[in-house]
Amino acid sequence: MTRIVRIARESFRMIGGNKLRVFIMMLGMAVGVVSLTMMICVSKGAYEKVMDIVNRQGPDLLQVRPGTDKHTGLPSGSRDVVSLIEEDVDAIFQHVGNILNAAPVKDRKEIEVKYGDKFTLTRIFGITPEWSQIRDFSSRKGEFISEEDLSFAARVCLIGQTVKENLFGAADPIGQIIRIKDVPFTVKGELEWKGISSAGRDRDDRIVIPITTFTKRLFRDIYLTQIVISVKDTEKIDRTIEDVRAVLRERHKIADGEPDDFVMRTPQDLIALAYGTTRSLINLLTGIAGVSLLVAGLVITNIMLASVAARRNEIGIRRALGARKNDILSQFVIECLLISLMAGILGTILGFGGSIILSSMRVAASKVTPLALAASLMSCSLIAIVFSIYPAKKAANQSPVEALRA
Amino acid sequence: MIKIKNIEKTYTKASVSTKVLRGITLLIKRGEYVAIMGTSGTGKTTLMNIIGCLDKPTNGQLELDGVDVYGLDDDALSALRNKKIGFVFQQFFLLERTTALENVLLPLIYADKYPANAVQHAKKVLASVGLEDRMEYLANELSGGQQQRVAIARALINDPDVILADEPTGNLDSESTTEVLEIFSRLHKEGRTIVVVTHDREVAGYAQRILELKNGGLIENNTSSKLENSGDQ
Repeated sequence: MTRIVRIARESFRMIGGNKLRVFIMMLGMAVGVVSLTMMICVSKGAYEKVMDIVNRQGPDLLQVRPGTDKHTGLPSGSRDVVSLIEEDVDAIFQHVGNILNAAPVKDRKEIEVKYGDKFTLTRIFGITPEWSQIRDFSSRKGEFISEEDLSFAARVCLIGQTVKENLFGAADPIGQIIRIKDVPFTVKGELEWKGISSAGRDRDDRIVIPITTFTKRLFRDIYLTQIVISVKDTEKIDRTIEDVRAVLRERHKIADGEPDDFVMRTPQDLIALAYGTTRSLINLLTGIAGVSLLVAGLVITNIMLASVAARRNEIGIRRALGARKNDILSQFVIECLLISLMAGILGTILGFGGSIILSSMRVAASKVTPLALAASLMSCSLIAIVFSIYPAKKAANQSPVEALRA
Repeated sequence: MIKIKNIEKTYTKASVSTKVLRGITLLIKRGEYVAIMGTSGTGKTTLMNIIGCLDKPTNGQLELDGVDVYGLDDDALSALRNKKIGFVFQQFFLLERTTALENVLLPLIYADKYPANAVQHAKKVLASVGLEDRMEYLANELSGGQQQRVAIARALINDPDVILADEPTGNLDSESTTEVLEIFSRLHKEGRTIVVVTHDREVAGYAQRILELKNGGLIENNTSSKLENSGDQ
């Protein structure tokens, strides 16, 4: 058994000597670790949520919508502002490099759709075949919108899974006729399952039709509600955004100093949106963790100093029996380290519990991760060592004779 | 062999200096049983602490087995205390809430090599001082005499050359005093060097040599009457 292991065992044995001291030292540290663990779990949860959204939307996806962001500070399209037309898409293709694909989109919410005696209110999207690749929306069954459908403004559609459930239940919808605003459409296919969007919207509650059909047979509206763009090189996305902005400002004849009449949503905006309120919670938890751990460190120093004073006799005995200064120093630091690690484990368990509660109460998305345990144990170790060194040195430097006289 | 030359010790407190030891010179041979006597405040404990490398003199030299102790650094002094010296104190100085066995094992924690049979060895030493049935008792559950015997076992665990005992019977009743002194006599017969500091003439009577501290100096007193008596028998 090596010397340090013997001393560590001795430290462990001596911890039980003063339970109140151990409890107070653990308490401060555990509070800090609870906050730290929750902060990491919430950060991890938020990160995963963001990545999920970015991955679902695509890290190469740009969305251009009509409107301004004056009020919210975040990009948001407005249906009241009309500024985008299909020629804008062509101009973007012609004048901006790094564009892989671009597609115009028109949509309308809460449109009545009937099948036999069943009906539902859903969102209708007028799209082109490129939309499928850009938004990663393909058909689960049947076929997608084709160029031919587009050319002939065919009355065909693909329905989302919620629409299918509402109108057809378990029956096969392919080839069936549904009525959108009383216009008959043949169901050409089913859209694949997409789930809930970052904004909490059901992405399966939709029907897609050719954009030409949308304009000619349903709404007779030339303005787009969206342009979706995918870029070739995501590293150059910032430059592409600026280029798209320049092209649109020129086409829309917007003078210098005037605001854009469109807004652009980038993956970075999605990240900002997804972090949103979570960021302030993370900041709060980080602050609590930092302050708690600092206070815990100061508590450790004070309690250790009191402990050294109370255990002078023990120090004298150990020195008389052959303990070196380093042995005494190690014993006190290891004692503190062990207490801190126990507090770290306890705090992490409580922190995991708190994170699960936050998640279940929908305060914030959180993810229990082993990273939190590792970070907690490392923080505890670091704080234990840093804040116990001074009292431990004080213990080690005591004269054996003076210590025995105490 | 313990060789002390011209040891002086002065304590300074609130700018008042008190000279406790004044040029002590002493030679203690291997295997000797020496008692250092003196009344309270004559510097007996100070001298023992200096011999035990727990304290340093203001002036003078100390050699243990030919090694100049004051040429050693703190780690080497600690190792020397651990290996060569066993301490027995008046107040026993056992760790509380620690069993007799764990107290005896304590010096082995700081030894260069931890023996594989440490626990068996400690039990054997405890048995040799008559505590085979008290090994798992906490220190504070033992009587004074038993605590002092644990302290003796602890002093013996590393098989030191020298046993230094400071008023080892000061807190004991007469029965325990006799038991402890008999153990010292046995250890002496086994060849160990024993140095006992005491104010009690009866305790000193067990030693081969009695030295008396007076006015900071050391006077060779006489040979122990007990040993003379035992020699007559």
